[in-house]
Amino acid sequence: MIGYIPVYKKLIPVTMILSLLLVVSMLLGLTIGSTGDTGAAWKLLLGQGEPDATLEVIVWQLRWPRVLLAATVGASLSLGGLVFQALLRNPLAEPYILGVSGGSAVGAILGILAGFSLFPGLTLSSFVGSLAVLLLVLLLSKRKEGNSDSLLLGGVMVNAFCGAIIMFLISVSKTSQMQKIIFWLMGDLSSASADSLPLLLGVLPCFLIIFLLAQPLNLLLTGRESASAMGVNVAAVMLVLLLTASLMVSLTVCHSGLIGFVGLTIPHVLRMLLGSDHRTLIPACILTGASYLVLCDLLARSLPSQGEMSVGIVTALVGAPLFIGLLWRGRR
Amino acid sequence: MSFCLSCFAQGRELTDQLGRKVEVAEPLTRVVSLTPNLTETSFEVGGGDALVGVTRFATFPEAAARLPRVGSYVALDIEKIVKLQPQLCLATRDGNSKASVERLEALGIPVYVFDPQSLEEVIDTVVRLGDIYRTEAQAEALVSAYRERLDRVTQQLKGVKEEPRVFFQIDAQPIFSAGSDTFLHQLLIRSGAVNLAADRTGYPRYSWEELLVLKPDVVVLASMGGGYSEQELKARWEAWPQIPAVKNQRLYVVDADLFNRPSPRLIDALEHLVGLLHPELPEIQ
Repeated sequence: MIGYIPVYKKLIPVTMILSLLLVVSMLLGLTIGSTGDTGAAWKLLLGQGEPDATLEVIVWQLRWPRVLLAATVGASLSLGGLVFQALLRNPLAEPYILGVSGGSAVGAILGILAGFSLFPGLTLSSFVGSLAVLLLVLLLSKRKEGNSDSLLLGGVMVNAFCGAIIMFLISVSKTSQMQKIIFWLMGDLSSASADSLPLLLGVLPCFLIIFLLAQPLNLLLTGRESASAMGVNVAAVMLVLLLTASLMVSLTVCHSGLIGFVGLTIPHVLRMLLGSDHRTLIPACILTGASYLVLCDLLARSLPSQGEMSVGIVTALVGAPLFIGLLWRGRR
Repeated sequence: MSFCLSCFAQGRELTDQLGRKVEVAEPLTRVVSLTPNLTETSFEVGGGDALVGVTRFATFPEAAARLPRVGSYVALDIEKIVKLQPQLCLATRDGNSKASVERLEALGIPVYVFDPQSLEEVIDTVVRLGDIYRTEAQAEALVSAYRERLDRVTQQLKGVKEEPRVFFQIDAQPIFSAGSDTFLHQLLIRSGAVNLAADRTGYPRYSWEELLVLKPDVVVLASMGGGYSEQELKARWEAWPQIPAVKNQRLYVVDADLFNRPSPRLIDALEHLVGLLHPELPEIQ
């Protein structure tokens, strides 16, 4: 294999520590919520104390699907960010910046207005939206011979265009649907239920595909010419990665709306801590992104006294200052 | 009550519900109503003939639906209003923005602002509109009929032994209810119910987790929430048979327009609610 370095000395401890972090976050997510006492929930998990039917339903039928959804969405968004950043060799690249999220949001809103159900209708219309945007962005950048800046600029413009379409669709929608769409746009995990299962089944193969392409991704970072000189089929690898990442993003967008900054924050922090080897970064991104969104959602649903808020608010409140801090440190 | 200060002149000076002086032309033939509830009430008191413009969601009564539209109450089309050359505009403090009211007044169009915050003030709205349109007799008759109906409800509720704990769902995705400072809260209290959202204010959001713990006896669902059909609205609750209201099949879908607008139709809403919440009570006619 090309450029083989024994990374497993690093990969194994990192994966173990981050898995532990994820387990702890998920346990916290199961035991803390807007109601009830946390101690009783711990006892329930440990199989002690008196059985409480309501608490059991809350923990297993409400919090568990929600924790799973948060973990999946968090993992997908941060991995999506990592892939786009590596492919475009641009630290600002993210599903949002590229317009992929915006495209799937347009697709999903059209689906909501048409009255589609979450699966397969909404999922499909959202994926079509993200693919359309991706195609458009790639075509735009093709004219300038694979320049990553033009790809980014194209994405920004397509995103602005999607934003305008979203606002247009909202302003012509019935008032009864407006509320639903606006809250969904703010990023919302409250719809988590057994219906979210297809999302899990959809993103797990995406994680695997991206992990298998970790080494070509590492080589791509050294530049396209040197990567193809080392035997990487640059065009094919890029296409597969872009398609997989878009599928992953659109699956999460139609379940949980637009949750920003996860794909920007997590990969940045991890690269600073672990270096730039994607064989370690990819699993680390999946695990940390999952823990991060589980914890953010925990805050969103248990902090406010006037009912829960959208998780997108929390990720932006935590993510934006952190990101500004990182930029600041990078400058000095 | 209103004050007729200069009845001999071209117009009268009335005081609106905010205590501001408003010049009302005489005779009054061109009025634009800026919210659906004022449109409804105008027709009720017999002033509908004077209306020349209404807002986008003014669907009741039928005659209102045929009048020219001047935008929606949140986003008024000032240009269209000016073009209709109204002698008076009717606005509400909660529905219309202060900026649009000021803009209209700067353009020389008097605006009479209502601010009904209770059922009493809704009835006062009828009296005031009767005064504006000079249909006092019709307004008086309406008001005494309203009072009679309210008394009847009070009589009826004397037989209530235990007030049901009610969750009123205004919107379905996400779930919103009505806190203690809202109309719906007053309506629930008057209909002999305990409002489960009374410990919050405004329109608070609820999670299923909280609803499972609240265990409402009765759930009232406003129609059209999240664009869902009646069956879908109920089905979302029926997934949780642990909730007493679900177990005892006490989920009721009600017409959202009837409950959301501070108009005298709220009395219809109240009677309807009493019937749903207290099926054991005999109807008093």
